[in-house]
Amino acid sequence: MQQAPDHTLKAFDDDLDRLRGLISQMGGLAEHAIGEAMRCLVDRDVEGAERVVAEDRKLDALEAETERRAVQLIALRAPMAGDLRDVVAALKISGVVERIGDYGKNIAKRVPLLESVGKIEPISLLAEMARIATQMVHDVLDAFVARDADAAVRVCQRDSAVDDFYDSIFRTLLTHMMENPHTIGQSAHLLFVAKNVERVGDHATNIAEMVYYAATGEHMTDRQKV
Amino acid sequence: MMNETASPLQIVPNAEPVTSGRTQVAIRDLDFFYGKSRALKSVNLDVPANAVTAVIGPSGCGKSTLLRTINRIYEIYPDQRAEGEILIDGRNVLDRRYALSDVRRKVGMVFQKPTPFASSIRNNVAFALSYYEKLSKTEIADRVEDALRQAALWDEVKDKLNASALSLSGGQQQRLCIARTIAVRPEILLLDEATSALDPISTAKIEELIHELRERFTIVIVTHNMQQAARVSQRTAFFHLGELVEFDKTSRIFTNPAQDRTRDYITGRYG
Repeated sequence: MQQAPDHTLKAFDDDLDRLRGLISQMGGLAEHAIGEAMRCLVDRDVEGAERVVAEDRKLDALEAETERRAVQLIALRAPMAGDLRDVVAALKISGVVERIGDYGKNIAKRVPLLESVGKIEPISLLAEMARIATQMVHDVLDAFVARDADAAVRVCQRDSAVDDFYDSIFRTLLTHMMENPHTIGQSAHLLFVAKNVERVGDHATNIAEMVYYAATGEHMTDRQKV
Repeated sequence: MMNETASPLQIVPNAEPVTSGRTQVAIRDLDFFYGKSRALKSVNLDVPANAVTAVIGPSGCGKSTLLRTINRIYEIYPDQRAEGEILIDGRNVLDRRYALSDVRRKVGMVFQKPTPFASSIRNNVAFALSYYEKLSKTEIADRVEDALRQAALWDEVKDKLNASALSLSGGQQQRLCIARTIAVRPEILLLDEATSALDPISTAKIEELIHELRERFTIVIVTHNMQQAARVSQRTAFFHLGELVEFDKTSRIFTNPAQDRTRDYITGRYG
């Protein structure tokens, strides 16, 4: 199918663009939250972590704004077909992105508890895992704005890399706990951080499925995801 | 997902509102000409029985022409002609040997503007009845009541059947026209923009009526109001420049049409 031309009613396009813009903006904040929380974790930056926690409110406000605009757009413009799928996708994606921001906040909240973390090896692995997961979020939201189903499929296929990282970090931390029982508390916190990052990858995958449906009107098959 | 094997979920496709699966009107290679101008181009369409089929498309796409052809109204204009076949119960209604009065009896039509006769409410419904059938006075009274009830108008007019039909509101007049049409018990009901001159409440009443009537009739509506097509029909046909571009389940047409032209029209990107 060809790319859809502009609407006869220009204000309709403006409304849809604004909705996509809000999702991009939310994505930027969520990426930043995860990236910044990880940096604070590595650098032991407690103040920075507090800022990450405080900034989560912005994401909540943007989610509410997205919902308000989506409902208004449905009521006033009566979108159909691909337009309707886009609006519904925006509504769902905003909730998922808000959740991703919460993971950033959760990670940031653990930073003060991990102050005494010595050299626990997986922390560098964790930072790399978080980089891949946030890149997935970045790319999948680009795919949404561009209505690019192929790009969404490619994002899904990258989730296994994040899962592999998680498995590896999980094993490393378990070994570390057994060898250093006095740091079990810290290791457990890091395990939760790893789990949070792993969930970010899963959420990016979920968004990819929403983007695929919005762009094509069909659901992504399991075969496409691997 | 982590360490989970996806369970093979059996997804049951959404059940569409039931249609009988029987074709009531089979349109085959239909061409229509206003003089030399070709208004319908090789249209092939199976209209399902006991369902509402909506015909949508921009002005001049041929949708009203299609209705005019199904009940042969065009015949009174000498320079208009149809080629191809419209089969109802296997017989081609375009064939001149198919008596026009039989076509009209099988196929009722309601127009954009209510067209009541300047006579009483009762006479409006009884007139066609006594034209087509030999009925006693009590039979006629029963059939008039029955038709008015089916058209959801009985409660509003039962105490003033002798009042002039012109004293009714626009919405009531249109329901009277529907009562008049269904009184002779047609199989097919054609509605050409039947609510476009009515206010939203009268429109909603007629849409509800269409919903109820589809159990007994095969209904084809032409409408410029896409929300209406989406609300009342089970199948939608999109016409453009005399061609049938796409015909599918209404839910499919309005969520994921197959053709670019359909998409552009229903999403407001036309022209």
